[in-house]
Amino acid sequence: MNGITQSTALWYASRATGVVSLLLLTGVVLLGVLVNRQGRLPGFPKFVVTGLHRNLSLLAVTFVAVHVLTAIADSYVSIQLAAIVIPFISSYKPVWLGLGAVSLDLVLALIVTSLLRARMSRRLWRGLHWFSYAAWGSAVVHSLYSSTDLQHGLLLYTAIACWLSVAVAGAWRMTQAGRDIPREGRAAATLDMMSPGRGPRRGRRDTPASQRPRTDTR
Amino acid sequence: MTPHTTVPQSTGPRGSQPGGGQHQHAGHRQARPGGQPGGGLPRLFPASGAVPVDLRTHLSRFAPPPYLGQPGRLIPVLRAAGLTGRGGAAFPVYRKLAAVAEARTQPVVIGNGAEGEPASDKDKSLLWISPHLVLDGLQLAAETVDSTAVGLYVHRNGRLQDRLRVAVAERSAAGLDRVPVEIIDAPPRFLAGEESALASRISGAPAMPRFKPPRVFERGVAGRPTLVQNVETLAHLALIARYGPDWFRGAGTADEPGSMLCTLHQADGRRDVVETGLGTPLGSLVHLGPGTQAVLSGGYHGAWLPAADAGQLTLSNAHLVPAGSFVGAGILAALPADRCGIAETARVARYLALESAGQCGPCFNGLPRIAAALDEVASPRPDSRAVTDIMRWAGLADGRGACHHPDGTVRFVRSALHVFAGEIQMHAQGRCVDPARRPFLPIPAATAMDAADWS
Repeated sequence: MNGITQSTALWYASRATGVVSLLLLTGVVLLGVLVNRQGRLPGFPKFVVTGLHRNLSLLAVTFVAVHVLTAIADSYVSIQLAAIVIPFISSYKPVWLGLGAVSLDLVLALIVTSLLRARMSRRLWRGLHWFSYAAWGSAVVHSLYSSTDLQHGLLLYTAIACWLSVAVAGAWRMTQAGRDIPREGRAAATLDMMSPGRGPRRGRRDTPASQRPRTDTR
Repeated sequence: MTPHTTVPQSTGPRGSQPGGGQHQHAGHRQARPGGQPGGGLPRLFPASGAVPVDLRTHLSRFAPPPYLGQPGRLIPVLRAAGLTGRGGAAFPVYRKLAAVAEARTQPVVIGNGAEGEPASDKDKSLLWISPHLVLDGLQLAAETVDSTAVGLYVHRNGRLQDRLRVAVAERSAAGLDRVPVEIIDAPPRFLAGEESALASRISGAPAMPRFKPPRVFERGVAGRPTLVQNVETLAHLALIARYGPDWFRGAGTADEPGSMLCTLHQADGRRDVVETGLGTPLGSLVHLGPGTQAVLSGGYHGAWLPAADAGQLTLSNAHLVPAGSFVGAGILAALPADRCGIAETARVARYLALESAGQCGPCFNGLPRIAAALDEVASPRPDSRAVTDIMRWAGLADGRGACHHPDGTVRFVRSALHVFAGEIQMHAQGRCVDPARRPFLPIPAATAMDAADWS
């Protein structure tokens, strides 16, 4: 079957928005890793990374919504409305569609908790935000097995690029984890960077701060 | 008003030496009938006699703390007195007490003697000279909010802490105290006395500020509502409980009643702690002659004022806030005419940057950049972009931290660029009023390097 007709339009729309959703979610995960490492996009101020991460996640949800609604509306296979959010109850490919539902639920939970972030403890929010990797992972498996689109050709290469980029970003994040400047030394590190040579010198740990020589003042 | 010699931080406190220049302010010296300590000054320090004030002398002068027998009764009295916090924020004391007293959980009461501001000596001096007034205030505050968990938070200072422990032991032996008082170590950090940093430290974590709300009087030490009052505030509270609101209003102005302790840095290098009524002309506190070019009011989170302007102002927020400064914890420093205000500000800004807790990006990224750029402005023929950079970064740091450290530092730096504009022009020509760069404002010898320095 080739060509978009009235009967296939919804089916094509669902597939296309599914692919775009995967790309967007991958972008959100990559930006999230960059936010976590306090990195920046070349040529942009720092807040652009955070802003893009947030806005792209909302855009991804819009595409996921269209993806889900067109799949339901399409009469080619019948999927119950409840299967959108309740995993593994679909009569058509229950496991693979179920993973899509899991991913959607997690993404919605991540967005709701992020909108309520000011009202919850930072630790809880951070803990919940770890589920973003699970949301992305289940979306990937869902996209690979729910249809045959991503199993060959150009879309397979696109999917592989998505997986690899997140894997590389995750590995980079793990290697960077130990390199955090502890908060006690952050201001000193910035000052050292701004006026090298006159920066503070690390004192011996067993010497109380009040007795350490101070070398940074003139 | 009696100047007292200051109490050194690390070499151990000495007693004050009454005498020296006697300033008088009209209306502040009327004695109270009956020989009781009157509305005159000083109130918190003994006008004469031996210092430190021991328990026997304290009791013979003030009698035991007047417990009211029921929580909450002191609150309307403090409201009528108009007592505000003497730690710098000038928050109405009765409001904090009322908020904590209404809480359902057992509250914690902490006397805050962590005087992180290097230019301030008044809390150390008060704790050394009149510890029993502070401890009276602590007990009365604990009764008012119905608390049994009471602490006194002071810097590690062997002699002062030993003396306070002896005072606490003497009081419980004499049956004066209803709740035991624990002495708690404050790390030697500028921010250690900030309320939420204090609550964090006493809860067992590093003494670093956190975002508010919840306010410390809602959720503080170990998540319990916590009343934190500066030690001087507690001493005033102890006197208001004895002599009432009208007596307290015998000093100060109608809007800003009472007296306060001030740390004065004269242009000749003298450093005194004095008690004075609010509304006292600044010119009668620090010498504003031709030897003084500017006055720093409010400490290192305060602002510079040109000496000529300072001469028109009084020690009150009504006068100082419109001038871009505030009363704060009562620090006034007269910068000698032969020192470089920019170099001094740069030196202090560097210290303040290093005292950042490193938690908020605008603070730990902004303040070091501002300090380094101010160093540039302080150097001969500086890069002309440095002042613009400082103003831009100042705007990015202002109001964007969990605590007021970035705001206060920015206020201090901005005022210097304004007040010492003439000096900046001289630097552009490669000249400076003080090429030798002799330091004037005090800053501590060492900075924090790791977590241990914050706890």
